[in-house]
Amino acid sequence: MSVRPDNRLADGPMTPLTCSACGACVEARKSSWEQSTVQWHADSVERCLERRASTPRPGPNGAAFAGCQTLKQEIREAAVLGRLPIQIDEDLPTNPLNEEAHA
Amino acid sequence: MSIAEVADTEVRQIEAEAAPTRFARGWHCLGLERDFRDGKPHRINAFGQKLVVFSGEDGTINVLDGYCRHMGADLSEGTIKGNELACPFHDWRWGGDGRCKQIPYARRVPLRARTAAWHTLVQDGMLFLWNDPEGNPPPADVTIPKIDSYGKDDWTDWIWYTTVIEGANCREIVDNVVDMAHFFYVHYSFPTHFSNIFEGHTATQFMKGEGREDIRPKGKPGTRQSLGSSSVAAYHGPSFMIDDLVYHYSDGDVPSVLINCHYPIDSNSFVLQYGVIVQKQPGLDDEAAEAMARRQGDFIRLGFEQDVAIWKTKARIDNPLLCEEDGPVYQLRRWYEQFYVDVADVTPEMTERFEFEIDTSRPNEAWRREVEENIARRDAEAAAAAATAGSSSQPV
Repeated sequence: MSVRPDNRLADGPMTPLTCSACGACVEARKSSWEQSTVQWHADSVERCLERRASTPRPGPNGAAFAGCQTLKQEIREAAVLGRLPIQIDEDLPTNPLNEEAHA
Repeated sequence: MSIAEVADTEVRQIEAEAAPTRFARGWHCLGLERDFRDGKPHRINAFGQKLVVFSGEDGTINVLDGYCRHMGADLSEGTIKGNELACPFHDWRWGGDGRCKQIPYARRVPLRARTAAWHTLVQDGMLFLWNDPEGNPPPADVTIPKIDSYGKDDWTDWIWYTTVIEGANCREIVDNVVDMAHFFYVHYSFPTHFSNIFEGHTATQFMKGEGREDIRPKGKPGTRQSLGSSSVAAYHGPSFMIDDLVYHYSDGDVPSVLINCHYPIDSNSFVLQYGVIVQKQPGLDDEAAEAMARRQGDFIRLGFEQDVAIWKTKARIDNPLLCEEDGPVYQLRRWYEQFYVDVADVTPEMTERFEFEIDTSRPNEAWRREVEENIARRDAEAAAAAATAGSSSQPV
């Protein structure tokens, strides 16, 4: 069996992104403000400082590194600055409570 | 016609190759070790073959090919004698290492009197078997993590369920790891957080969820309230998932560990097994704690039964048409593919780290509306029924 390409990548491919903290190069994609995917590679996994500093979480599934918070911030920033496209064209959601306060 | 017009009128075709004829490389759980320690040989239909599991006087659990190399009799119909399995046909004695140790009526055992023996692992009350179509032993770094809670005094033993699924290839069950939306429709919960990480031979799902009130109504005010659950569930290899699952209640947390595992019988059927251990809550005796674990297991069984109903009638689809809110189905299948190719053919794409994360607030808005509508409709129906009953009989 061979695995087909993801139909969603035809419209919007993964975008290369470099972490400013450690220089790790990953590919990221955001389908919406709420969703993101990240493809790491062997060298980026090795570079990641948070990963190096991480310790296993408790529990039988604790060995899996939960993710880099710095990179997560960078992906969000890239999306806000328009460097990382958002597939579903919507404005950045804002806190409705704030809007009420301003009204 | 323009390309856009073609795309708009063309029917999407379901594409599917035949189910794989080879079976996944990796550790497979065959069930609870205690079930194989009853002094009898056990027949297991797995990986397109018949296997025999037996435990001799030394306590080791062994797995051999099911057929005697002498005249082909079924060894699972035989008897255990000492540390050996005796064939029911001519009493040839087979050791756990696959070698014929003795033929009671012969002066010596012939050359090459050796059958296939499988690598096994007994851990946390379960028996595992290593399958590798290339015939290699399990590498030291391909392991099943220990479940530290198992065997502790304040935890129950396994409540275990076994069911045979006919008419589906076992790969269908693995897709569930990434299927956020099916938890609402099939398993009656609101995922409030959902993410996946695939790396190496592990595929992890992080999920926080709340129960659907239209399925499980909240208790009366002042009674114990369910506040939802937090789950970290990971496949370690192709078939064995550990779910580190905590249920949150208004009066505290109830930690549990859920196993979801399977082994293929052939390419069109598999054995699905699941089990649960629960931390005994203060004030509950062993019996009550076990009843609680069983209630949890029975609820999980309901969920699986609904999965099974889907699997049995669904088509295999190699080109699922995904919307942006769906999970990383293709990426999961790429990860899963590593277990179906030779070790030399495992590519970096299959094992390199991949992350998926979604804030589920948006889907939950739609789902909460649906639940509220269900509750309102049911209340209206109940009110209507009460009105009808009230007109014909006196309230008590």
